Amino acid sequence: MFITNVFYYLVHTGELRSIIQWKIWHTPVHERNEEEETPSLKKCFYFLDMTSRSFSTVIQELHPELLVPIALFYLVLRGLDTVEDDMTIALEEKDPILRNFHSILEKQGWSYDGCAITEKDRELLVQFGNVTEEFTKLKPAYKTIIKDICEKMGNGMADFCKKSDNNVNIVNTVEDYDLYCHYVAGLVGNGLTRMFVESKLANEALASRPQLQESMGLFLQKTNIIRDVKEDLDDKRRFWPTEIWSKYVTNFEDLFKPENKTAALDCNSEMVLNSLRHADQCLFYLAGIKEQSVFNFAAIPQCMAIATLDRVFRNPDIFKKNVKITKGEACKVMMESTQNLKLVCDTFLRYTRSIHSKNTARDPNFLKISIACGKIEQFIESIFPTQNPAAVLAPGDSSKLTGRAADDAARAARDAQQAKEAKEDTFYLILTVFGVVIFISAIMVFVAYMVGARFDLAFQELRKGNFMKIKSPEQLEALKKGEL
Amino acid sequence: MGVSILVTGGTGFLGSLIVTALHEKHPDWHITILDLQPPPSQQTPNLNINYVEGDVTKAQDILQTVQSIAPTVIVHTAGLVPPLRNRFSRTLEARVLDINVNGTANMLAAARQTRSVTAFVWTGSCTAVIDNFRHSYRNIDESYPTSAQDSLIYGESKAKAEKLVLAANDFDDDGDADVGGEQLATCALRLSVLFGPGDYQLIPSVHACIAKFETPFVIGNGTNLWDVSYAPNMADAHVLAVENLLSPTKTAAGEAIFIQNNEPIPFRDFCLEVWKNFGHYPPFEVRLPEGLAWLAGWVAELGTWAVGTPYTLSTGSVMDACAVRYASGEKARRLLGYEPRVGIEEGIRLSCAEYAQRLKANELEKQNSKEKEQLRRDRTQEDLSWRLWRFLE
Repeated sequence: MFITNVFYYLVHTGELRSIIQWKIWHTPVHERNEEEETPSLKKCFYFLDMTSRSFSTVIQELHPELLVPIALFYLVLRGLDTVEDDMTIALEEKDPILRNFHSILEKQGWSYDGCAITEKDRELLVQFGNVTEEFTKLKPAYKTIIKDICEKMGNGMADFCKKSDNNVNIVNTVEDYDLYCHYVAGLVGNGLTRMFVESKLANEALASRPQLQESMGLFLQKTNIIRDVKEDLDDKRRFWPTEIWSKYVTNFEDLFKPENKTAALDCNSEMVLNSLRHADQCLFYLAGIKEQSVFNFAAIPQCMAIATLDRVFRNPDIFKKNVKITKGEACKVMMESTQNLKLVCDTFLRYTRSIHSKNTARDPNFLKISIACGKIEQFIESIFPTQNPAAVLAPGDSSKLTGRAADDAARAARDAQQAKEAKEDTFYLILTVFGVVIFISAIMVFVAYMVGARFDLAFQELRKGNFMKIKSPEQLEALKKGEL
Repeated sequence: MGVSILVTGGTGFLGSLIVTALHEKHPDWHITILDLQPPPSQQTPNLNINYVEGDVTKAQDILQTVQSIAPTVIVHTAGLVPPLRNRFSRTLEARVLDINVNGTANMLAAARQTRSVTAFVWTGSCTAVIDNFRHSYRNIDESYPTSAQDSLIYGESKAKAEKLVLAANDFDDDGDADVGGEQLATCALRLSVLFGPGDYQLIPSVHACIAKFETPFVIGNGTNLWDVSYAPNMADAHVLAVENLLSPTKTAAGEAIFIQNNEPIPFRDFCLEVWKNFGHYPPFEVRLPEGLAWLAGWVAELGTWAVGTPYTLSTGSVMDACAVRYASGEKARRLLGYEPRVGIEEGIRLSCAEYAQRLKANELEKQNSKEKEQLRRDRTQEDLSWRLWRFLE
């Protein structure tokens, strides 16, 4: 494994460079103050490290105001998710836990050891007292938000569990799919937004845009659902909506058979298309965040998602194994998503174009994907225009513009002037080079002529089509005759 | 009370769609079609749709015709789009300017001298702004200047005519309504490239590439976005503009508005989708970098100059294929409430189905009459020469 990695990065030096740069140059915006933390809070951060692969670091770099609330929010939802995911718990036992999880938060010392030993986050629930203890210390506003989301999510999950117990396909229609993703991810977007706004670290207008909050969650969740299709199948779970896959295969398992590769890829592209439609709204949302650590926290997962979406798009490997972006690519994306919205947009555009380049006419979703990609590009262009009206005006025409546009015009004119000068310089440079070449050639020709070169004969031969050296004595003879 | 509305060019591809859209939404409105040719006879006769013959370039005749009809609204959609082989040259300059600019001036003059006319909706074109190869046009809005200089002849004619149309507007929303009882409200709709059922330019010429084995060639990087629109949506926009100029607020008066399907895609993808509808997929792909293609176009032009036959590939068509040209639909949404009713995917499907039928009908015709066969060949020849890259209305 190590050896293959070494070889991989020897070939992909650009990715290696990203890893090194991330390690050296990334400095957290804020850092935890571990000395002031209580033992139970330390334990909470320990669980955060244990349970989340990607979120732990970004959460720990959050603004102090949001650090603990969001870390606890994450652990609470992780606890809920662990109960929901565990297929060994009977429905009669699971249902009340899910539906009452929000009131459990206020119960000191609550713990649960009913999860299967194989469940990787089992320990979090066994020692859940640490979470509930810290939860009581939160500001009431954050408590209300976390409890509210917890209640909605628990009920939603319980509804879906009930459905799945009666029916294997828990997600039938695309509407179901959106609803399921709403419960497990859209609500997280809503809760986080309310916390951002509560802390005044984001524009309060975000609170009144439920569609944008929803997209933030759905874009991540849907992308993960596409990526994890094989893993979920192995765990006997299925989140791809029947309405979509049944267009391509009769049984869901057929997607994984090599003989159905084309159908499976077309199905894959419809799933990607469904996810891609949220991308522009995610960018819109990110524009509303004011504080750097919150921006990083929100932007990193989104950029990872678009990179993952590109990786999985029309990739047959997703039906065989778990496909992931490489560590090098992840570092590059993290670096780009921890600075500003412009760089995030550039990242989105890069991956959008990459998705577009893999689009193929034989795919039934071909034009829809093309339109979705075009829409993302147009949206990015609308928030970061790469040109302005002044740039297309003829010089001296700027009288038609006023205010900022006039400034732009002046700048454009100045740029144009500089470009023109640069062009002239290049022109003169080329002229000089060619002048010298021609001059030297002329001298050489003149010298050759003075010492007796017969250019007339050379021309004659060229006109006869003799471009090569004369080789045979006969030809030489013929030439001599001609000369005489 | 029914509104009387005059549609110039109402027999043409877009004009007939506008007449249909107006009639569908307002069956009580009285529509008069003014065109050089009468509508096809098989069209069902309707009491509320009349036809008069007329030529917009003849100022005196037009004035008399308009005065005798005395419409409330004029939709001026008659115009000339140079065929592709003339798109990049100035060979048709006089004719294009005469029809597009003088024709518009004549219609405006007739409108002002006819007291009944209060609204004037003009079919403009995005080329008034973007028919200039020196620039890219990404998500442009109406603050971009029109490009009368350095433009191709079509764009130049549309820019000049648009200026006349907007200058003729004398509706002012803070002015007294009773000062001029016969105020004229005008607006210009800048349409993008369009296609649709009955399309004799874009779909046929893209389809023709299949027979010519041209489908594998991709010019440029194939990522340049471009607006293309389903023609019946454009007709809807005309109805909305007429309604707007008849409303008390007339928010669109004196405005130029970009109208398109709001689904910018690369030109290459549009072609692939058309070919797909005819069951054709390029067997392989050859990517020609823009510079190389431009050089090939230049050589082709040189050949044309030497041999004298009209060229198909040219530097102009290469730059057309590589240009980035799409506009924002924000103003149309805000002022007119315009949203395209039919998406381009569905539009392409409908248009290709209709064109396939037309081809079939042509095939039958060919079997029936040998004389007609010759005629058809001429027509196809013309279509062929239309060639790939880009078309207007």
